[in-house]
Amino acid sequence: MGRYIIRRLIQAIPVLLGSTFLIYLTVFALPGDPIASLAGEKRTDPTVVAILREQYHLNDPFFLQYWYYIKGVFVGDFGTTFAKVEVSDLIAGKFQVTINLAMTALILEAIIGVGLGLWAALRRGQAIDSAILASTLILISVPTLVTGFVLQLLLGVQLKTSTGFDFFPVAGVYDGWRSYLVPGFVLAGVSIAYLTRLTRTSLAETLRADFVRTAVAKGLPRRRVVGRHALRNALIPLVTYLGADLGTLMGGAVITESIFNIPGIGQELFRSVYERQQPVVVGIVTLLVLVYILANLFVDLLYAVLDPRIRYE
Amino acid sequence: MRVTKGAKIIAGTALLALAVAACGGGGGTSSTPDATGGGDAAVRMEIGEPQKLFYPSDTTETEGAEVLAALFTPLVKYDDDKKVVNDLAASIESTDNKVWTVKLKPGYTWHNGEPVIAQNYVDAWNFASYQDNAQSASYFFGRIAGYADLAPGEGKTPKAKEMSGLKAVDDSTLEVTLTNPFSQFPVMLGYTAFYPLPKAAFDASGKVTEDYARKPIGNGYFQIDKAYGKGTDQTIDLTLYDKYPGEKPKFNKLQFKVYTKTETAYNDLRAGHVDIIDQLAASNISSAKTELGERYIEQPDAGIGYIGVPLKYNPEYENVKIREAISMAIDRKTISETVFSGTRSPADDFINPAIDGYKQGACAVCTYDPAKAKAAYAEANGPKLLELGYNADGGHKEWIEAVAINLRANLGVEVTVKPFEKFQAILDELDKKTYKGMFRMGWAIDYPSPENYLTPIFSTDAAKTGSNYAGYSNKEFDELLVKGDTAPTVEEGVALYRQAADILIKELPYIPVYFYKINAGFSEHVKGVKINLLNQVEWTSVEKV
Repeated sequence: MGRYIIRRLIQAIPVLLGSTFLIYLTVFALPGDPIASLAGEKRTDPTVVAILREQYHLNDPFFLQYWYYIKGVFVGDFGTTFAKVEVSDLIAGKFQVTINLAMTALILEAIIGVGLGLWAALRRGQAIDSAILASTLILISVPTLVTGFVLQLLLGVQLKTSTGFDFFPVAGVYDGWRSYLVPGFVLAGVSIAYLTRLTRTSLAETLRADFVRTAVAKGLPRRRVVGRHALRNALIPLVTYLGADLGTLMGGAVITESIFNIPGIGQELFRSVYERQQPVVVGIVTLLVLVYILANLFVDLLYAVLDPRIRYE
Repeated sequence: MRVTKGAKIIAGTALLALAVAACGGGGGTSSTPDATGGGDAAVRMEIGEPQKLFYPSDTTETEGAEVLAALFTPLVKYDDDKKVVNDLAASIESTDNKVWTVKLKPGYTWHNGEPVIAQNYVDAWNFASYQDNAQSASYFFGRIAGYADLAPGEGKTPKAKEMSGLKAVDDSTLEVTLTNPFSQFPVMLGYTAFYPLPKAAFDASGKVTEDYARKPIGNGYFQIDKAYGKGTDQTIDLTLYDKYPGEKPKFNKLQFKVYTKTETAYNDLRAGHVDIIDQLAASNISSAKTELGERYIEQPDAGIGYIGVPLKYNPEYENVKIREAISMAIDRKTISETVFSGTRSPADDFINPAIDGYKQGACAVCTYDPAKAKAAYAEANGPKLLELGYNADGGHKEWIEAVAINLRANLGVEVTVKPFEKFQAILDELDKKTYKGMFRMGWAIDYPSPENYLTPIFSTDAAKTGSNYAGYSNKEFDELLVKGDTAPTVEEGVALYRQAADILIKELPYIPVYFYKINAGFSEHVKGVKINLLNQVEWTSVEKV
């Protein structure tokens, strides 16, 4: 098992190197001059532009620029933005916020999704099952933009102005974990719906399996049959889904972050691509790749725990 | 047994995740004080993230300027009548508009206790002008004698580090010599780029340090609480500076809250988490009018939007009758009210109503008259195909499309609309002659003088160094500008600039379409919110309720 983990981690190195190169190249290939476009409508003083281009090595050929960047990375210097902010400081600050948001979303997703799916699977064909299925359908079809604004208005504004109950902040991350509840839910919305459906199908299928019938025949209590025998086997596809979703939740939170004014990496990435801030884009994407790799490794290891037949040598 | 182990791992992961989430919540963020609390509770204002660290001479956008304006006191400010009044300056005098003597009021100190002296201005302005420092507002100092030595241009090495035209005669007297007389010089001095800098701002080599730009020591009524973590900090907190000798604000704490979307800030204002928004999102304006009532502010903003005509690139637009016809075919009122949801007003001059020198209804051909437009266009034999270019990054698509619809319907011509990635891209293509059509253009002023709507955009010199993208050139116009610059007083200068603007109306190098408006709102926790000509809140008039 230990050797397996080490092998997987070594495999990650070329992936990371390759992705920094590709991302650097992609941003490099974007049209327009990043310095000139910083100025907007007024013509920037060409002297100022020339000096800044020199400072940020923008006149050098691509490979030389990339070399400067990689050389810096190896000594722990991830470069600076055009506003002279250290990229490492910038990403560190934003990453914390994004982890908080993604984790809140993931926990809500796991609790609500698995909970509802379990409930629906055990009451299959009954009214509650149909109700849950219908509500997941609604959740899937309403865009994040809408859920975001509606919940912000209902819980953040209306609830406070009409009842004085000031629990859900409208925006920002000023109020500790409470700040992440509503945005976390909005971000997890669609995933909750998918996970509910996945749990329901997976569990319903397992409940019909031979070993479950055996367990029931042995006279085991229903709780034990569902909890220990059926659910554990049904979890494998769910864990895969959750693991892959973590990366999506972290990098794909642009809309949610902007509605709730959460200073995370989603928004930063969006803006940096727009402003062609190569070091920031590469830094963030590399970090996301790393998260994906680790989450996948973790999921693979969990398989072995959930299903003893799977072994890693 | 394995089952239990698995369950443990899952439970463990969940706990870990919770712990991570909890830690993050505690660190790095501060809770926001509520204005209702009275006492030391802060007045909170919405801003967008400042583009740069706080270098006054590198701040050319409104968000950073808003913060700096609370930390610094300028030499002059602008009163309710759009006139310049002295602030930190005791007097600004000149006999020939060329050599200006600025006397400073006594008693002003930096937040570190040192007195504000004339040398602070000399140091700051020299730093701003020296080209290797790459300060984006350096062009403001271009009129000062000796500027060319510090900023000789691309690829050349500066000859000096100090401008010959700047002299601190004594601690309270600053002497500024300009290359050419300029009557509007005092008007410029209220702008961010002209703030002085204390000794503590500079390192041994005479550069402003990054530490200073994060935690600027100002000379204004507020001081900054801690170094600004750009990109990560969501608030910028200021506290009243007790030793400030001038008129102080009536509250102790000011907090800027950084938002990426003003819609979000408006919801926060409704819920009582933010007090002032200086520009509401267009989508919020109709509800703000009813919900905020008296607390909704609408006033002219000094910006202006045009349709630019590529005079030097395309002879098809040479005949002024064609430009007049295009202008008359544009329904400015509907565009302002519908497309812009009332955040603009129809333009009827080249000078904005917020600024001294504006004449209501000056531009007769800016009135919508489709019948006359059609006749004039046909008579002048205007081109059958018109092109309209816009930069797709600034929300201009809608109004440009609306103009295109107007032109198609009223002139009976074909109009193609072409989006460009950024404004710079339009200019590049015009230069390369790959695009020959009209283009959208906007202007926000640098200092509130009518001169600023004319020289940088329409003077012959500005075709090379400024924003004269039309390539317009008119000798009479240039001469009037020089006369205005050399006029004995600011007021007489304004009258001459007015005449210059009238030439533009006759020749229409650009077609003015709309003036910007300020649509601000504030919460019931504050009163007396006023916004000045530079789009900055007048903190001395704001009071907590």
